[in-house]
Amino acid sequence: MFFALTDEQQAFASTVTEFLADRFDLEAVRGVVEDPDGDGHPLTLWKGLADQGALAVLVPEEHDGLGLGLVDAQVVARALGAGVAPGPWLATVLAAEALRIAGSAEQQSRWLPALAAGETVGTVALRGEGGAWDGSGITVDVNDGRLNGSASPVDYPAVAGLIVVAATDASGTPGLYLVEAGASGLTVRDQHTYDGTARVGALEFADTPAEPLASGDTVAVQALLARGAVLNAADLVGVAREALTRTVAYDRDRNQFGVPVGSFQALKHALADLHVAVTMAEHAVLFAAHALDTDDPGTAIAVAVAGSKASDAAWNATGAMIQFFGGIGFTWEHEAHFFYKRARRRAPLFGSSAEHREALAALTF
Amino acid sequence: MDLTYTAEEEQFRQELRTWLAENIPTEWTRPGYWATLSDTESFEKRREWEARKTAAGFSGIQWPVEYGGRGGTPGMKAIYDEETVRAHAPQTVNVLGLTFLAPTIMAIGTEEQKAEIIGPMLRNEVIWCQGFSEPGAGSDLAAVATRGVLDGDEYVVNGQKIWTTNAMHGDKIFTIVRTEAGSEKHKGLSMLLIDMNQPGVEARPLKQMSGASEFGEVFFTDARVKATDCLGEIGQGWRTAMLLLSFERGASGVGQYTEFRRQYDDIVAQAKRFGRADDPVARQELARCLVELECLRYHAMHILTQVEQGKDLGSESSMTKLQWSEAFQDLWEAFEHVLGPEATLAAPRPDVDLSPFHAQDHWSRSVTIWGGSSQVQRNIVAERVLGLPR
Ligand SMILES: Cc1cc2nc3c(=O)[nH]c(=O)nc-3n(C[C@H](O)[C@H](O)[C@H](O)COP(=O)(O)OP(=O)(O)OC[C@H]3O[C@@H](n4cnc5c(N)ncnc54)[C@H](O)[C@@H]3O)c2cc1C
Repeated sequence: MFFALTDEQQAFASTVTEFLADRFDLEAVRGVVEDPDGDGHPLTLWKGLADQGALAVLVPEEHDGLGLGLVDAQVVARALGAGVAPGPWLATVLAAEALRIAGSAEQQSRWLPALAAGETVGTVALRGEGGAWDGSGITVDVNDGRLNGSASPVDYPAVAGLIVVAATDASGTPGLYLVEAGASGLTVRDQHTYDGTARVGALEFADTPAEPLASGDTVAVQALLARGAVLNAADLVGVAREALTRTVAYDRDRNQFGVPVGSFQALKHALADLHVAVTMAEHAVLFAAHALDTDDPGTAIAVAVAGSKASDAAWNATGAMIQFFGGIGFTWEHEAHFFYKRARRRAPLFGSSAEHREALAALTF
Repeated sequence: MDLTYTAEEEQFRQELRTWLAENIPTEWTRPGYWATLSDTESFEKRREWEARKTAAGFSGIQWPVEYGGRGGTPGMKAIYDEETVRAHAPQTVNVLGLTFLAPTIMAIGTEEQKAEIIGPMLRNEVIWCQGFSEPGAGSDLAAVATRGVLDGDEYVVNGQKIWTTNAMHGDKIFTIVRTEAGSEKHKGLSMLLIDMNQPGVEARPLKQMSGASEFGEVFFTDARVKATDCLGEIGQGWRTAMLLLSFERGASGVGQYTEFRRQYDDIVAQAKRFGRADDPVARQELARCLVELECLRYHAMHILTQVEQGKDLGSESSMTKLQWSEAFQDLWEAFEHVLGPEATLAAPRPDVDLSPFHAQDHWSRSVTIWGGSSQVQRNIVAERVLGLPR
């Protein structure tokens, strides 16, 4: 039994964490947050991540990747969440996953090396306004290799060179399609998310030419959504842990009534419960990543548990962060809102906590 | 990540499974079977069965062979916990002795204690009680007032213990006694091993909210115990008690998960029967419970990994206790919420018996109290894990 990260995986986590601390700390994050019209994609950060193999982690070795699994990828996602790091990491990794899962050999060799090296930014458009994250919420149609419809919210569409779009064909079957930046009939509109650590837009397709992924069928769409759910959950767990750690550190030192506020049992018990919840969410993400890596028969349950637990943990830990910092936590100058807003933007992506629970009911009732 | 057991451990699983299949009567697997028996009948049946299990080599899985154990691995213990639940094996009758006293004796007992206590305990010839709590000393264990006064080579003990599990079946009791007159708090305490079958010891049953009487009160009136029947040194009772309580950390989340997950499935089946399974609120509430139970399962694998690597779990065990006890209690709250009025009826229909559900439901109120209440566990997590000031 080995339910833990290996030494190499821990070292990988430290590398990314230390890189962020050195080269892209909260001051740098603030720079991105306070420049809402900027592309939210600092190149120093992107290059650094590429240098560490953070973009290549899931790409097979024959396409210049590291050929590792989701357990390794979630290490990166957690570190990025903890650092509230901006940029299209998850979007690019998922675009590459779509190619790895469903692309032809030719499509893979055309795109994967560039995605792994960070030369091309990728993104995925898997759902339309108001839709569910299970393939039923797709609002793009495909006919004769042309896409029509819309997708939203999409991460970092303005900087993406390659977009993987889920679209339904005339028979109602979903599949995956490649659209290149600047394709005819493609419009990208910035949707101005309040989470300043991301850039999010809506896509409109009007007879936009698209290339089908060789085996981009329903199964591939589901596989991509599951991977998205787990890596998004990993980011949320990173956010949650860091929010909790910062809150505990502050409440240890902050004095009121002549004692540290962290000595009050009302805070202690709330923080202890959060510690348990965040730890369980960490376990859940690790297990779900491993389940996907090994094609465990319980994967669907594991993904839903991770998605649900991680969003609840992040939601609660970041709300508590503001509350237990008091007034300072409510200010713009404080970093609590970076964590809070990131948690709330990400919690509903790839299925909200309640949607994951409904999936669990459907799986076990 | 590698969530498999070794070949040797899987071999053990097969042997155990086979033995359980041959040695568990079918009627025992019926829901609520044990509740149809009186406390004494149930106890004696389990005592006899467990003695057979010991003879077959399926007790003391992780204990050294020299103590009559199997000398197995932590993985085998996890498998044991999982398989016994799966096979509907009954709960052990000597839980406090086996969980707490035996490992403490192996660690700090005298050679005589090792030789005299462990074997009979493993064979259930001697049932052990834990005499820690008193009317005035619960969470604040150091407030114990039961006192022992030296008279020759014996202590004469007076006082009262309460909430003593198996009080009516107990043969012996490991007891925290104030052996130094005028001492306070953690000082001057000793862990005395007192024979309950003597005139100075009287046990009285207490009826629990569920109606069962698994625990009771134990009164000491000039009870006598040899000064050598002390575990650890005289006056070092607090240290002994802390060591003893640390053995709860082995408690198996794998077995608990298996049990609670079956209960979840049973509750879902009732929700379907009573037309509640399509209600979105009911689905949300039950699924929320499932999330916590699955997390318990992952946590159990994490803990097993730590144990196999020889790491000291320390205060992390408080987190384990919180997770399992709160998840279990929430599951039974969901049962009530989801089934509504039907949940409160033992016989909502002629062919439906919900009394086994009620037994679990009511039991679930106790698990956040004993073994360190949830509030006490949160204090420990906050202070010793998160480092918040006292
Ligand atoms: C089913 C069952 C079996 C038991 N078996 C045994 C046994 O075999 N042997 C034995 O010795 N004991 C046994 N106990 C006793 C058990 O250990 C105690 O009930 C437990 O330690 C709590 O003590 P108390 O009941 O005195 O409650 P109290 O300590 O009086 O607690 C009352 C309330 O105050 C809260 N509280 C207490 N201290 C704090 C604090 N510092 N901060 C915040 N809140 C606090 C508690 O959480 C609880 O909610 C058993 C109990 C039960 C329910």
